[in-house]
Amino acid sequence: MTSYLDEDLDVSPDEITLTVLPPRLRELQLTVRAFAEEVVRPRVLALDQAPAEHFDWEMVQLGHDLGLTRLTLPVEHGGGGYGILGVAVAMEELASVCAGTALIFGATLLGQAPVLLSADPVLQAKYLPRFSGPKAVLACNAITEDLAGCDLLIPDNAEHAAGVMSAHKVGDTYVLNGRKRFITNAMFADFASVYANIDGSPGATGLTCFLVPLDTPGVHRGAVANKMGYRVCLGSELIFEDVVVPADQIVGGEGTGIYINIQQMNMARATVAAISTGIARGAFTIARDWARTRIQGGVPLHQHQFTARKLAEMASKIDAARLLYIRAANRVDREIPPPPYEPAVAKLFADRISVEVAEEAMTLLGARGYLRDYGLEKFMRDALGTRIYEGTPEILALAVTEAIYATDDDF
Amino acid sequence: MTVFDSKEQAVGVFSQLFELLLQDETFSTRVREAGLSLRLVQSKPDFALHISNDGVRVDDITTPAALTIKMSSDNAHALWSGQLLMPLALATGKIRVRGSVTKMLEFQPLLQPAFDRYPQIALEAGVTA
Repeated sequence: MTSYLDEDLDVSPDEITLTVLPPRLRELQLTVRAFAEEVVRPRVLALDQAPAEHFDWEMVQLGHDLGLTRLTLPVEHGGGGYGILGVAVAMEELASVCAGTALIFGATLLGQAPVLLSADPVLQAKYLPRFSGPKAVLACNAITEDLAGCDLLIPDNAEHAAGVMSAHKVGDTYVLNGRKRFITNAMFADFASVYANIDGSPGATGLTCFLVPLDTPGVHRGAVANKMGYRVCLGSELIFEDVVVPADQIVGGEGTGIYINIQQMNMARATVAAISTGIARGAFTIARDWARTRIQGGVPLHQHQFTARKLAEMASKIDAARLLYIRAANRVDREIPPPPYEPAVAKLFADRISVEVAEEAMTLLGARGYLRDYGLEKFMRDALGTRIYEGTPEILALAVTEAIYATDDDF
Repeated sequence: MTVFDSKEQAVGVFSQLFELLLQDETFSTRVREAGLSLRLVQSKPDFALHISNDGVRVDDITTPAALTIKMSSDNAHALWSGQLLMPLALATGKIRVRGSVTKMLEFQPLLQPAFDRYPQIALEAGVTA
């Protein structure tokens, strides 16, 4: 059997099963599971049905106290020192109860990623220690725009990108102007990783990653999007009007933003696949419990062959999705640049099966599955959302196909 | 046209660079505490350096290393000269790493003394590009 787990984590290949994680990750898994059950679950139904602008800072603070806002930060900055596999395991646990809660923390880790990738001790000292203070702090990644989505992710598309946020160089500073859309945590984040195009570069060919504190003059937080799912986390616009950013807040140099973003994305996709896996698991758990207690024809539902077949298919899909994200996360934890193939495959599969499992679970519960009070339909709405961010199935298919035809590297 | 005239010149420059880095107290302390070892594999000219708290060994490709870092010698020169930025080099695959990414991200900022010292070392070795 191929080892999918990090050799550094003291697990022999003989010990590797679907449920055995290295001790430190197992401990994280159980800790986050307890948080999800004890803190998140009692709040989920009310939060999901609250107005779009409602945000539960108390829950976020409790997650922060647990270290969920700093999982990947180096220990020297007070972080957890976990890799992407650790994040993925935590995301599955959170998403099995509430995907929106998972994304609050996941989006923060995504916003931090350019700071880590910068390799710049000054930027790291400026932005990272705040996540280990007593007060919960969030970050966000601001790339998507109204007219530009995948044009900011695919290098060959960059010259065709339209209306991209601009960065005009003035002395040792840049002046940012433009709007970002659908930005998770934008309403409350402390700082953002912001992608803007250097003036004079066609399309997004001069895309550059800037670290911008969101209390900088000229930054405005726009209206919160009224979403179908993921209502526990807030997505909104970020508006930049003549925002002056010092040149030393650039990550990776002028015009390198698209590559920084691709790297971030390939790291993140393994964790988003874990969120989809968690959503599927959450829906499955409700269906499994229902099929055990609901008696029809004198026996529990799960003893009916049609139901048994459905439950077995659902369980198989979830296990397969989990194995794929573990493989992807482990490769991402062991390679720079992160591989494009495994994370894209994991997300493509997990996104699909989460919708399928949520739908099957709803059919098993019948009318109850359609009622908001049972919490099952939330998993369906969230599953559809996960299919969009960090790569739609169409974008993932392009990434997978490109990798299939790529020549082997000689590392 | 490559930056280095010979393997000997490149090995001399990069061995000296990492030996000096190991003399940096912050770096060497962290290397020791983390039990970190690096295998630097460079091409054109081709050679490998094994770097650990025990020192720098040339063309040792059998001793296990926690991190393997691979790049061309020209890219190595551009990197340490400050012409090639680390985030871009890593994102585009000009530098490739196998091993614990967490450790790599943790140790990158500690490499700063190497950036400070490299230009002089290269100059003294007659590297002119």
